[in-house]
Amino acid sequence: MSVAAPERPRVAWRGAPARPAPGAPAAEAACAHCGLPVGPRPVLTGAGEACCCTGCAVVRDALAAAGLGADYDRLRGFDPAARPGSRPKVPEALALAELDAPAFLAAHTREAEGGRRTVELFVDGVHCAACVWLVERLPYEIDGVEAARLDLPRARLALTFDPARVRLSEVARWLARFGYAAHPARQSGSGGATEAERKLLVRMGVAWALAGNVMLVAFALYSGLDAAADPALAAAARWVSLVLAVPAVAYGGAPFFQRAWASIGAAWRARDARRLHLDTPIALGVLAGFGQSAWATVTGRGEVWFDSVAVLIAALLTARWLQLRSRRLAGEASDRLLALVPRVARRVGPDGTVAVVSLDEVRPGDEVEVPAGEVVPVDGVVTRGASRLDRAVLTGEARPEPVAIGGRVEAGATNLSAPLRVRAERVGEATRVGRLLAWVERGEARRAPVTLLADRIGGGFVLAVFALAAVTAAIWLPAGADHAVAHIVALLVVTCPCALGMATPLTFAVATGRAARRGIFVKSEEAVQRLTEVDTVVLDKTGTLTEGRMTIAAWEGDAYALDLAAAVEAHATHPVAEALVRERGAGALPEAVGEAGDVEAEAGRGVRGRVGSHTVIVGRPDWVEAVSGPLPAPWREALAGWAAEGHTPVAVAVDGVPAAVLAVGDRLRADAAALVAQLEGSGKRVLILSGDHPAAVAAVAARLGLAPERAHGGVSPEGKRDAVAAMQAEGRVVLMVGDGVNDAAALRQADVGAAVGGGTTASLVAADLFLTRPGVAPLLDALDGARLALRTVRRVLTLSLVYNAVGAAAAMAGLVTPLVAAAAMPVSSLAVVALAVFQPAFGLRASVSGLRNTQE
Amino acid sequence: MNVLFILVPLALSLALAGVAAFRWAVRDGQFDDVETPAVRILLDDSPPRNEAAPRP
Repeated sequence: MSVAAPERPRVAWRGAPARPAPGAPAAEAACAHCGLPVGPRPVLTGAGEACCCTGCAVVRDALAAAGLGADYDRLRGFDPAARPGSRPKVPEALALAELDAPAFLAAHTREAEGGRRTVELFVDGVHCAACVWLVERLPYEIDGVEAARLDLPRARLALTFDPARVRLSEVARWLARFGYAAHPARQSGSGGATEAERKLLVRMGVAWALAGNVMLVAFALYSGLDAAADPALAAAARWVSLVLAVPAVAYGGAPFFQRAWASIGAAWRARDARRLHLDTPIALGVLAGFGQSAWATVTGRGEVWFDSVAVLIAALLTARWLQLRSRRLAGEASDRLLALVPRVARRVGPDGTVAVVSLDEVRPGDEVEVPAGEVVPVDGVVTRGASRLDRAVLTGEARPEPVAIGGRVEAGATNLSAPLRVRAERVGEATRVGRLLAWVERGEARRAPVTLLADRIGGGFVLAVFALAAVTAAIWLPAGADHAVAHIVALLVVTCPCALGMATPLTFAVATGRAARRGIFVKSEEAVQRLTEVDTVVLDKTGTLTEGRMTIAAWEGDAYALDLAAAVEAHATHPVAEALVRERGAGALPEAVGEAGDVEAEAGRGVRGRVGSHTVIVGRPDWVEAVSGPLPAPWREALAGWAAEGHTPVAVAVDGVPAAVLAVGDRLRADAAALVAQLEGSGKRVLILSGDHPAAVAAVAARLGLAPERAHGGVSPEGKRDAVAAMQAEGRVVLMVGDGVNDAAALRQADVGAAVGGGTTASLVAADLFLTRPGVAPLLDALDGARLALRTVRRVLTLSLVYNAVGAAAAMAGLVTPLVAAAAMPVSSLAVVALAVFQPAFGLRASVSGLRNTQE
Repeated sequence: MNVLFILVPLALSLALAGVAAFRWAVRDGQFDDVETPAVRILLDDSPPRNEAAPRP
């Protein structure tokens, strides 16, 4: 190892890498990997480069062996600000304005001491320890922020700030520089969930503390502390157990008694024993065990079952807590709300001034201003300006549409290129988006509630236990009432469905937890069960089957010309520009060529500019031909073919000569075809319902090998919902996959709705599943995982029932003493836990689709 | 063996203290997030600021 450098720069390779070191001149050279001085004893890589230490040399060699050395060197030299292709996310100005509005501060932040306020923000994009470090540096970087604490798994930032010294919009802007999108945690629902969870955790902790102590005392009793040898101590032990068991049963067991009572009431009203919840036999066993033990303590005769009862309660509470916790994680993933329609708008006053007002104050007839890059807040008519709108949120269509004076705009669309003035016609819930969202949020119970497998058993279980108790009484009454009572209680305690009650919650908690780690967030266990019943899958096109953004679908010609074109288009907002910059990167050119200059745009035709010594023209093929001469025939054919598939054809000419042609469009995902085939192979019918142009949708369907009647384009959001309802009327169980507002209604209607990563508020609220990985692959994982999870649930239930049967038989034979029950219960519980934890669902091996976790 | 009459209540009161502490910790929100503190131990302490703001 070399001599340590005197000071470590925080980030070694932003800007000038090398630093001079004091001492021997040979030590000044910069390490080939990290840029620090190599020191007196440099380590050489295989290629002869000098590194400061073995670590750097090894990394360098590894990169070279992987063929990445050249790229790494190229990327290292970059100043991030000079790469417009990698613009950090600029937060919406309106969203920022909202963060500063006094109404927001009053509603969503809390007073702390000394005039400070605390607020919780969702921060999208935090993944790891480095993110935690970065975000928690806020107090050091921004004056006025006192404390920042990030909750990594929930992506919540708890911020304490002084409103007099800093504004929240500054914080959001700072976070956005690193690619973290911060938005307010509006949802008050999650606050309530945490409260319930905390209470359950306290209950559970208390229950275990009591159970542990009761077990200690019981151990003494089992070890031979008998009434004969030391009656005072034995009696004291029992009384202590009683005193400890009372709070365990009353406080710890309270939730079970409440649920059991409620279900008894429901079953009585419906005269249906099957309505009895599984908590009923639990409550029964606990009460019987406690009652008999209390009696035995008071009268001094008979067995005590306090320890079994206390452990039972503690174990069941643990299972419930785990279940609640895993549900919360899933629920919060979909709680991360992006403001779909901003809650504020820029209203134009009668004197022409623009003021930011709350959306509730905007009335039909008011004029609002929508700058470029912001979301339109109202439905209305354009009164000034011409621009392009991205309606993807409503129609799913990937291509922006032009709009001019007199044109209609809808709330939720993004204004892309130029500022617009819009006269509002419908506001808030009356807008199309608003109505859809309202339907989604209010939505009546759209499907019959699914009774989980285990709950169905509950009723039968109670009846079986009663029957067995009657049999036991019949067998043992001739021997004396004491015996009969003792054995009946033994029966009730042993058959108490501890394992049964834990089985389903534990299995689902583990399964959903694992699924969450793989990017599949399930909101409820019913969704998992329903997934196994699905026989029809409806896919959205944009974003699910395609990549959801404009990319270069195909190109011919000179690759260097594409780089030049990207440099010229670096600052435009046209989809062609986005596609070029994304694929080629505006900074991909060698430094000698430099940035583009003299860039001129001709509306509707293309862009011309100069890069280094070359003149570059990018635009519509006919315009490029007119300026630079005819395109070669094979390129013309290629362009025609691409246009027929629904892509946008573009031509590039360098120095007056056509150099390349490309097609810009929404590219189909590489694995889409194979995975759709897999879906169909497993017996499910696959359909595509999309709001995009029918031509594009038909082309995609053809590429996927789907029959034409299975793909419909130009479907409105309401149309999607009706289509799903029609299929359900036929008796099919429908799984709907989508991401935009245009899918939200259908997601709500379907039996299982899956919102795909990047989904809008509405789809997240409407869906039962939230897939953070894009594409079809996570869908297959979800289906497979659900199947395996349910299989495990069935296995665990079977095991529990077998245990109960054996236990019941032993109890009826009079073999069960408190010691036996105390020993058997942990054994059965552990078996259940083991099966649940080691289940194959959502396992760590490669997923069904054959793909490893692909992160995008 | 009669010492147990003293020891057991003593032990139980210790347990009670423990449970009370647990309850306080849960209500204070210390069990809400058990994963991020594990990550925070990897982070270096920052050098002290020049201004008077307290370190979190």
